[in-house]
Amino acid sequence: MRARLAIVLLVLPGAGFIFLFLAVALTITALQSVGVLGFGREPGFTWEFWAALFDRQFLDSFLFSAKVGTGSAFGTLLLAYPLALFLRRRRAGGRFIGSVVKIPLFVPALVAAFLILNAMAFHGVINGVLLGLGLIGQPLLMMNDKFGWGVLAIQVWKKLPFQLLILASVLATIRTDIEDAARNLGAGPWQVLRHIILPLSMPGILIAVVLVFIMTFGDFAITRIAGPIYPTSLAVLMHTKALTLSEWNLAACIGMVIMVASLAFVGVYARTARLLQGTAP
Amino acid sequence: MTALALPRPAGGLPRLSLRVFLAALAAILLLLWTGVPLLMAVLWSLVDPDKPWSYPDFLPPSLSLAQWQYVFTYSSIGRAVATSFTIAPLATLLAFVLSLPTAYALGRYRFAGKETLKLLILLPIVMPGMVIALFLSRAFDMLGLSQSLFGLVLGHTLLGMPFMLRILATAFEAIPQDLIDAARNLGAGWPALVRRVLVPMVLPGLFAGAIFTFIASLEEFNLTFVIGTPTFETIPTVLFGYLGYHFVRTNAAVVSIILMVPSIVLLFIAERYLKTEYLSSAFGKL
Repeated sequence: MRARLAIVLLVLPGAGFIFLFLAVALTITALQSVGVLGFGREPGFTWEFWAALFDRQFLDSFLFSAKVGTGSAFGTLLLAYPLALFLRRRRAGGRFIGSVVKIPLFVPALVAAFLILNAMAFHGVINGVLLGLGLIGQPLLMMNDKFGWGVLAIQVWKKLPFQLLILASVLATIRTDIEDAARNLGAGPWQVLRHIILPLSMPGILIAVVLVFIMTFGDFAITRIAGPIYPTSLAVLMHTKALTLSEWNLAACIGMVIMVASLAFVGVYARTARLLQGTAP
Repeated sequence: MTALALPRPAGGLPRLSLRVFLAALAAILLLLWTGVPLLMAVLWSLVDPDKPWSYPDFLPPSLSLAQWQYVFTYSSIGRAVATSFTIAPLATLLAFVLSLPTAYALGRYRFAGKETLKLLILLPIVMPGMVIALFLSRAFDMLGLSQSLFGLVLGHTLLGMPFMLRILATAFEAIPQDLIDAARNLGAGWPALVRRVLVPMVLPGLFAGAIFTFIASLEEFNLTFVIGTPTFETIPTVLFGYLGYHFVRTNAAVVSIILMVPSIVLLFIAERYLKTEYLSSAFGKL
C-alpha cells in the first residue's frame, strides 16, 4: 500500500501536469460546443451550435483536411517504403544516403514550409528548370493553389524521414533467413516482397500512415501559409471562427470534430492492427 | 577470394554496375531533394537588393548581406530571438524538474497501467496543436496567464514534456539492476548511489531529453501564436508573418536560417554523441 502511494506521488508531477492542462483544454472545448460555457452570451445547454455547424463551408473544410491528411500519409508512404527497402540492404553509400534523407526531420515545420514554397514559387527553381528545359510555356502556380499541391509537397518533404525511421526499424526486425529460405524455395524478388516483407512490415506501415494522418489532418500553420484561400483546413476554419468572428461555440464544435476524427482514425488503426495480428502466420 | 569470385553467373558484372548506378542515382536524387531547398534558402537570404534575382538568371547576379542587415534593423527579430532563447531554457528546466520523479517511476518500477501511461504521456505532441492552443487560451485568459511570459513557459513545458519524460524514463530503465545491487552490497547509501551510479548513468539521457525539449520550445508555433502575440514574438511567429499571402521571400529566407541553424546543430550533437534509442523514444515508438 505504501509502495503504491509512493509510485502515485512519483508519477504525479510529470503526468499530472500534462493531464491537468489537457483536461482543462478538452473540458472547455466540450462545454463550449454545447453552450454551457459561453463567452459573450448567456450560458446554457443547447445543441444549436452543432445544428448550425454543418454548412457548406464546414463540409468543404472537412473534405479538404481529410484529403490533405490521407494524401500526405499515403503520398509520403509511396516514397518512404521503397526507400526503406532500398536502404535495408547494406550497400555502398547507404550510410550517406541515410543521413542526407534524415535532414528534413531536423528542419522546423515552418522552415520546411518556406523551403518548399521557395522552390515551388512562381519564380522558383522548379519552374526555372522546367522552363529552361522547355517542358512548360509559362510558370506553374503551385502555392496557394486550389487543390492544395503546395501543402501536400511541404508535408511529404517534412514527414518522409519520420516515416522512414518507423519503416526502417520495422524492416530491421524481419530476419533475412526467412527471405533467404523463400528465395531458396524458388520465390522471385517480387514474390518475396508481396508474400513476406509486405505482410511482416504491415504494423509499421499502419503506424507510419496513422501518425502522419493525425499530424496533418489537424494542421493549422502550413495550410494557412500554402493552402488555398477556399476551402481551408478545419484548424484554420476553427481559428478564424474563434479569433476573427468571435464565434467561440462554433469553433469549439470544430475542435471536437478534429479530435474525434483523429481518435476515430486511431481506432480504425488499432482494429486493423488486431485483425492483422490475428491473421499473421 | 578470386576462387570464390570466379563462378559468377554470366551477366553478373553488368548487373552489379546497374546496382551501383541505381544507388548513385538515388543518392543524387536525394541530395537534390534535401539539398536544393536548403541551398536556395541560403542564396535568397544573400540576394543583393540592388541587383534583383529573377528568371532567367540561374544564380543571383551578386551576393550581399544587405537582407540580413535589413531584417535585424527593421523587424522585431532581435527581440524574438531573445524571447525564444528565454522561454526555451526555462521550459526545459521546468520540464526536467517535473519529469524527474515521474521518469524515475516509469523507468524503475513495475505497476499496473504503466504502458498505458507511457502512451498517454505522448498526447500533447499527438493532439491537434491548434485545438489545444485555442481552448487552453480560454483558461489562460481567465487566470490572467495570456500574454505573459509565465504562461508561455507553462505552455511550452507542456508541449516539450513528452520528450523529456520518455527519454529520461528510457535512461532510468537502461540502468542494470545488478549495478545498483552491487553498489548497495558494497555499502553505498542513497547519496553515494545517486552520485556515483544514477547521475552518471542518466546524464546522457538527460542531455538528450533537454535537447529535444529545448528544440520543441524553439519551434513551437500554435500556442505562442494564440496566447503570446502580439505582446511576445518568437522566431516562428516572426517567420509566419513573412510567409503565406504576404510572402516576403528574402526576409523569410533570413528568419528561416536563424530558426533552423540551432535546431540542426543541437540535433546533430544529439545524434552524434547519444544512443539511437533516445531518438526513437523521442519520436514516440508506439
